[in-house]
Amino acid sequence: MPAVTFAQASVAVEREDSPHPKVLLHPVNLRLVEARIGIIGANGSGKSTLLRLVNGLIQPTTGTVAVDGDDTVRAVRKVRRNVGFVFTDPLSQLVMPTGREDVELSLRRSIRNAAERRSQAEAALQRLGLLHLADQSIYELSGGERQLMALAAVLAVDPKVLVLDEPSTLLDLRNRELLRRTLAGLDQQIILSTHDLELALDMDRVLVIEDGRVAFDGAPAEAVTAYRSWCMQGLNTGRDVQ
Amino acid sequence: MRGHGFLLANYVPGDSLLHRAPLALKFLLVAACGLVSFVIVDWRISAAVLAALCALFLLSDAGAKRLWKAIRPLAPVLLVIALFQWWQLGGATAARIVLNILLCVVAASLLTATTPIQRLLDGVVRAARPFSRFGADPERFALTIGIMLRSIPFIAGTFADVRDSAKARGLERNPRALVLPVFITSVAYARQTGEALAARGLGEAED
Repeated sequence: MPAVTFAQASVAVEREDSPHPKVLLHPVNLRLVEARIGIIGANGSGKSTLLRLVNGLIQPTTGTVAVDGDDTVRAVRKVRRNVGFVFTDPLSQLVMPTGREDVELSLRRSIRNAAERRSQAEAALQRLGLLHLADQSIYELSGGERQLMALAAVLAVDPKVLVLDEPSTLLDLRNRELLRRTLAGLDQQIILSTHDLELALDMDRVLVIEDGRVAFDGAPAEAVTAYRSWCMQGLNTGRDVQ
Repeated sequence: MRGHGFLLANYVPGDSLLHRAPLALKFLLVAACGLVSFVIVDWRISAAVLAALCALFLLSDAGAKRLWKAIRPLAPVLLVIALFQWWQLGGATAARIVLNILLCVVAASLLTATTPIQRLLDGVVRAARPFSRFGADPERFALTIGIMLRSIPFIAGTFADVRDSAKARGLERNPRALVLPVFITSVAYARQTGEALAARGLGEAED
């Protein structure tokens, strides 16, 4: 598996109403080498910020992030070729009117020949059992089908690492199960954030993010227990739950 | 999100003469229709050209339903234009203007209904290649067209959603309640699309 390393990586943004920047992620040191890594935590805790650092969508304010030795700032294009990113809402990710066209769009840079591109796109759709939906408008697909279509478009270019930002949040139980099974069958290293604690339990390692800090890093069962207990404490002490 | 109020017809797989026609010829047809809409001064000629285009559309196996779906979202706007022009310039001019707009939409729909998007994009890339000597990236031209085709139904769908929300709150007559949310959602959509493209490495300069 590739190694994703965070070395004193932090993210802060300027604020209009304060001279002090808002810290989204405090300096973090991590080495992620497991096949399945989950990130859990409250809304606004910094999960998405951590994930966006892996793909170079956000640059660290301090420190560095590297994927298989490639710095996400200096070698951002190589990093993006190796790291696929799936967003929570597939509608913001699918930029073409149909799934087939979107998968072909992913392949445009790497495959110039139109016939070859088409056949590769069909193979990518076939792998996820989506070929029969290839020519349907993305608006006509169910939430789960759309999410799998977005996944197919990302997997078509065969990334080494797959990053998913709350992929099951908009899905019903059946589609969530379908997504879980699909993810379980992939060869890529997977790093995902989720509120679905069952999905988190499928992982090899789980990080709990709390107020921009890694509050727990370890086995899934313990991480979920720790997260539950913090949530309960927050409720009992009347702290805001976002 | 509805996103079905699409102005141009989506591609319909088929083997008609129009499906097999060279892309350049179809591009020329659309360009010519755009041009003649400025030149035609008699509404009867506009009606004849429109009828011919509709016949071509039906011959392409794309179907009357799809043709109607491409035209229907325009109906309220066309009605307003027709009434205004009738009042200002008379019935013949109003009919000519409305028919000319319609023939442009049907011609564009003919192109999109009989050409797969990827072929369309390949054509745009070929057409834009001469500009690469000035530093332009032809792939970005193609990506822009693709995103435009995708964004029109999104914004139309947003408008439909916002109109329903305004209606539910009894604000359907408040233009601010209609325009502002559509504007804000569209900007957010543009940002999300940009982020999604960046994440996939699309739209970046060639290696």
